[in-house]
Amino acid sequence: MSPAFDSPIAELLRTQRVVVCCGAGGVGKTTVSASLAIGAARMGRRVLVVTIDPSRRLAETLGVSRNPTEPVPLPVERQRLAGIEAPGSLSAWMLDPQLVSDNVVRGFSKSPEDARKLLDNPIYKNVTAMIAGMQEYTAVEALYQFVLDDTYDLVVLDTPPSRNALRFLEAPSRAGAFLDRRVFNLFLPGEGGAIRRMAQRLLERVMDTAFGADTRKELQQFFELFGNLLGHLNHNQAEMRAFFARPDVGFLLVTSPTQEALTEARYFEGKTRDELGLNLLGYVLNRSLAWARHRPFPRDELLPADAPAVAREALEKLRRLAGTEEALVAQHTALAADLRQRAGGAGVAWILPGLPEGASEMDALLTLSNALLTKDA
Amino acid sequence: MHFLERRIVLITGKGGVGRTTVSAALARAASATGKRVLLTELGDPEGGYSAIGRRFGREHVAPEPVVVAPNLRLNHLWARTGHELFLGNALPGALVRAAVRSKAVDKFLTAAPSFHEMGIFYHLLTLLKATRKDGAPEHELIIIDMPATGHTLALTSLPDILLRLIPGGPIARAMREGQGFLNDPRLGEAWVVTLPEQLPVTEAIELLEGLRETRMAAGGVVLNRYPADPFTPHEREAMAEVLRSTPMHGQLEFERIGAAQHAAQRLLGAVHVPVITLPEVYAADDPDPVPTLTDVLARAMRGTP
Repeated sequence: MSPAFDSPIAELLRTQRVVVCCGAGGVGKTTVSASLAIGAARMGRRVLVVTIDPSRRLAETLGVSRNPTEPVPLPVERQRLAGIEAPGSLSAWMLDPQLVSDNVVRGFSKSPEDARKLLDNPIYKNVTAMIAGMQEYTAVEALYQFVLDDTYDLVVLDTPPSRNALRFLEAPSRAGAFLDRRVFNLFLPGEGGAIRRMAQRLLERVMDTAFGADTRKELQQFFELFGNLLGHLNHNQAEMRAFFARPDVGFLLVTSPTQEALTEARYFEGKTRDELGLNLLGYVLNRSLAWARHRPFPRDELLPADAPAVAREALEKLRRLAGTEEALVAQHTALAADLRQRAGGAGVAWILPGLPEGASEMDALLTLSNALLTKDA
Repeated sequence: MHFLERRIVLITGKGGVGRTTVSAALARAASATGKRVLLTELGDPEGGYSAIGRRFGREHVAPEPVVVAPNLRLNHLWARTGHELFLGNALPGALVRAAVRSKAVDKFLTAAPSFHEMGIFYHLLTLLKATRKDGAPEHELIIIDMPATGHTLALTSLPDILLRLIPGGPIARAMREGQGFLNDPRLGEAWVVTLPEQLPVTEAIELLEGLRETRMAAGGVVLNRYPADPFTPHEREAMAEVLRSTPMHGQLEFERIGAAQHAAQRLLGAVHVPVITLPEVYAADDPDPVPTLTDVLARAMRGTP
């Protein structure tokens, strides 16, 4: 059954070019991102979902389990099953930081010769993916390229997992600490005043003692060649910051119904909207039991007249569980109301339903995408 | 389980599975046997509270271990501490002082790829090697609450990566020594914490497979928050029949308990390491679940049911 596409989320998916899903680890962010992407594709948009660390089952469902070098369209058969019809389409890509980084090196080195030397440099080959913030940085870089390409109407980005939902937003400046010309210059022999030269000599001695002159020279080559890319990367960072502030680029916080969720939402709101001037779309509350709030408490009259004695005994036990459950549902409902109020007129706060037990990954994605696209009952 | 015979145990698991609470309970249970235990986490260079510290009523922890209970110390692994320790061992004294004071060296160590991890690794190695006057290890067992992200694999494969880059010199020696602890199944192992739910169980099984590739031994799995089932199989069947036609409160809990049993069976069928099941402790009944979980873990460590 096709949903009505009349929810506030459907409206967002119709108008945005980029939706960035942020959230702490373990809230189901990747699943929500994939559901949003399927939803938008069912509405007729050409969608790319970029994901970082999906579970194997989700990667298989999306067809990206083999770590492809470029976005892969979902197989036609599966698109049909998901209710995606032309002009709508769904592609997925599992981001490989090393790959994006290699593309940057190829695209922006001074010469093909320089690019090859850097790609062959052992330091570059082994540690680029480990630079703090590099994963996030490359995600942003890739996203930017996809939007410029115009191959897709909408890109949904699932950000890397972290304790802090905002790590991602700070990535450009964190990677920036490494991608700082002044740090790089320290490792390059040559110019500078007496103090610079002294600092350099000290560094060289430290490095030679710690890992030998050969490795030190490889490091210097790495810094020299990578340093040549810095101009481009820094220029890109400024452009990207402007890009993220565009009105058709928006941020969604995916959260779970925990006590910390509200604190996180408050912080996220302050950071995105007030501090960074970004477009906060709102909140998606996942794994909430708020949807079950209208269920009745188990009373004897709910049992059919001919119910066996064992069912009556079981109902007695169910009542105890119902007490716990009611309290939990009430707590989740209050949290949902708080989030709705927090989102105010400016954004959405969407509560996702529970998933049927034993649902296949695709069923789960469809259930969630239906819920995201249909006006709240 | 051979938990107590190890020198170093990594506690891993995806976000939200209760890894930090379990780490705290494991450390308490191990220290109660008389072992000198150090519980540690990777310090967050960007500040914020300490997740493990909060289990002991502390907002922050420091690189220097502090005693939080008999036989139990707490600290965090800190890259800068590791760098200083390393420089202190590798360089002549005067050079160390200059290097530690130098903004250039500091910037380099902070910014250069993999040096952060290397510092953490060196700090860990120093703590592993620290001895008392009688030559016995200062910390007989070090338990690390690993971050939720892919860091476990990064930490365990770091020596391999660095040895490819830097085959000789003091860093290489330190990495080989660290490998000796992490990759010797008699000295080090990793435990996976997970929940009795579909996706977490799948992820735990994947994590165990990933471990195999890093040459780190898998010690076992902690199945956290396993709900008690008040129903007999017969009652469960009868209730399921009723709930099919009449949804009511209690049903979600009823189904969740059933799902937890399925997930646990799937886990037990898929893994070949010990699985310890911890009961679900409701926050409303017990604001601090650590003591209850500690009791269960202590019994598992003694091998009594």
